[in-house]
Amino acid sequence: MTSNLGSSAQILKIHTSHTHPRIHFRREHPTFTTAESHGSKDALHILDKVCTPASILFDPKFTSRQRPSPALPFRTFPPSPTAIRLPHSLPSTISVQNLDPEEKGEDMDKRHPSSFQQLEKLGEGTYATVFKGRNRQTGELVALKEIHLDSEEGTPSTAIREISLMKELKHENIVSLHDVIHTENKLMLVFDYMDKDLKKYMDTQGDRGALNPVTIKSFMHQLLKGIDFCHTNRVLHRDLKPQNLLINNKGVLKLADFGLARAFGIPVNTFSNEVVTLWYRAPDVLLGSRTYNTSIDIWSAGCIMAEMYTGRPLFPGTTNEDQLVRIFRIMGTPSERTWPGISQYSEYKQNFQMYATQDLRVILSQIDPSGIDLLQRMLQLRPELRISAHDALNHPWFSDLAGNMGHQQQQPGQMGQIPVQQRGYAQPGVVAQGGYQY
Amino acid sequence: MSHLSNPLATPSQLFKVSSSNALPIELQDSIRFYTARLIQAAGILLRLPQDITAQANVLLFRYWLVDDLMAHEFSDVSAAIVYLTAKISASPRSLRSITNVYAYLLSPSSYLSNQTLDASPDPESYYLSEAAYILYRNRLLHIEGQVLNALGFNTHVALPHPLAITYLQALDIFSPAYNSKNKNTGKEVGRRAIEYLNTALLSPQMLYLTHQPCALATAAVYLAARDSGVKLPESQWWEVFDCEREELGFLVVGMGSLEGVVRREVGRWSGKGMLLTENVRKELVNMGRVMGNGNRGAEGEMDEMAEMERMLDAKVGED
Repeated sequence: MTSNLGSSAQILKIHTSHTHPRIHFRREHPTFTTAESHGSKDALHILDKVCTPASILFDPKFTSRQRPSPALPFRTFPPSPTAIRLPHSLPSTISVQNLDPEEKGEDMDKRHPSSFQQLEKLGEGTYATVFKGRNRQTGELVALKEIHLDSEEGTPSTAIREISLMKELKHENIVSLHDVIHTENKLMLVFDYMDKDLKKYMDTQGDRGALNPVTIKSFMHQLLKGIDFCHTNRVLHRDLKPQNLLINNKGVLKLADFGLARAFGIPVNTFSNEVVTLWYRAPDVLLGSRTYNTSIDIWSAGCIMAEMYTGRPLFPGTTNEDQLVRIFRIMGTPSERTWPGISQYSEYKQNFQMYATQDLRVILSQIDPSGIDLLQRMLQLRPELRISAHDALNHPWFSDLAGNMGHQQQQPGQMGQIPVQQRGYAQPGVVAQGGYQY
Repeated sequence: MSHLSNPLATPSQLFKVSSSNALPIELQDSIRFYTARLIQAAGILLRLPQDITAQANVLLFRYWLVDDLMAHEFSDVSAAIVYLTAKISASPRSLRSITNVYAYLLSPSSYLSNQTLDASPDPESYYLSEAAYILYRNRLLHIEGQVLNALGFNTHVALPHPLAITYLQALDIFSPAYNSKNKNTGKEVGRRAIEYLNTALLSPQMLYLTHQPCALATAAVYLAARDSGVKLPESQWWEVFDCEREELGFLVVGMGSLEGVVRREVGRWSGKGMLLTENVRKELVNMGRVMGNGNRGAEGEMDEMAEMERMLDAKVGED
């Protein structure tokens, strides 16, 4: 019996005082994951650097306890980027969902591919083909995204991610997933039918691609509402571009294609840096950041805003480096002085050509001053200075939006008086930075 | 969408698991334990980060709430779920690696089997030819579809591990008061808590399907602090972490009981590396014969009461 137990203890962690656990979190693995970082021996050293509630809240007035670690100077550390940027607090009570198959059985699985009439092809992506379709019962138009199941890989991970996220993301500015039809060799996703994507809309409705300011403001407002909803639900889209924004004939804009999207938890894991089409990719991602957050979607939104005014992409780079150079040529080349820590990024090069910051008012003369102000806040090179979707929606530029007028509250004071930093994600005066040196 | 909570098993699902037409509970326990252990072993050989392996463990039990335990070979379900979980994570693994690892783990040379590690393994016993690989792959991809369908593509799993560390921080366990040069009690407690959480993944009680991560984390913290003799606040601190006294008590017992489960299972199956559906069928027949000696009919006609009595008898017999 004992020897048997010994053999299984090699795989199992059994809590007896003499058995050493054999399951360790592997420490040499390069990806940083939540459980691993807390579990491995090496990762635990981070705990030394963490400030504890007691060390922050200690006040001799209220306690007879010793001041925590009087001998050691309190160590400051760069506050975790995720800790200060999460825009919404967590609920303290957690709702209980259930796994009841009845729930999913109702709208998923039951239908058959033949309940939709397949009409013309709308587009073809890397892993899916999209058709226009009609529901045979109701006659309503739908978009059918057909995904062939690879005989070597099975269901594509993008499809699994997209379905699991889209089932939960229900919002007027996010294309809704009505149905999933899963057969042995293909997967069909049934979405809202939308007339065209923003790219096609600009090509057909615009003046050489450029749209009129009223339309742009409405589209930007809807885009930001969709992004804000995703971020509130802890989802990063990661691939915003005109081709992924769908427009119907009523002028409603919806975010689509969540194949690259992913849910972010706390703390944010390192993500693959191979995301977001190059032209709309944020500089921190281009520099090799693997701990990006919601701010990458805001950068993309800024690029799209400029493109709607001019009809041309703002930064049409061809390679990773070319993309960075194009950004720096307009936004100015950052340095360790303007962006502390930039030289730590893997793709940072000392010999970047130095460019001065251009005035967006000159380059984008079509945009009114308030619009330029918003754009400037979205196109901040440093991710922590970029405005959040939530704050962007309250920007005065939107105060004269049709249908939004009257009940939109005017921000007190003029925008110019508020320092940029205070409107981004970063909170000024984070406690851990100074002030508590013993 | 909530990222700190999980979908939990409904009472009707749990009832179905224990109802009369299902397998006897102790056989279900064996299947769940062995298959969960197989996932952990495969995760180690595949060098998967433990959070991904842990998610696979949770998805396995969720899948078995919806589909029949005997529908597929257990090891195939395990491999398909490891493949699926890794695929949607940041560390995907190829099907070829997974089939190779499983071929090894299921072979007589595997360290899971009742063998000593220093015995020279026989590579032929776990060589997977191209033809065998393709058959294996097709089986796994078929099961992957079944799993996704059963889960309704709901593949998100919230793990309690990061929460446990956060709770320990909030309880000030990592402060210098507990950690000096030669004593690292704080880290020891942290490690212990993570160990409890990993162990609970194998529990046939399916603790991850009946309790939210916050409760699991609280119980692990409680047990880890108790093991290391660390004093926690005298007040009812667990309430701060959304865990009630009864729930904490249940989980503390549940998490502590796995050692007994392992002893029982290893004894029952005489040190087998992994159970096969075939073994379970044979055991069912054996049990049927034993049951047939009583005044009850064949196993198919057993009603719920009889099943309960039989289980109680088995319990008494064990002690």
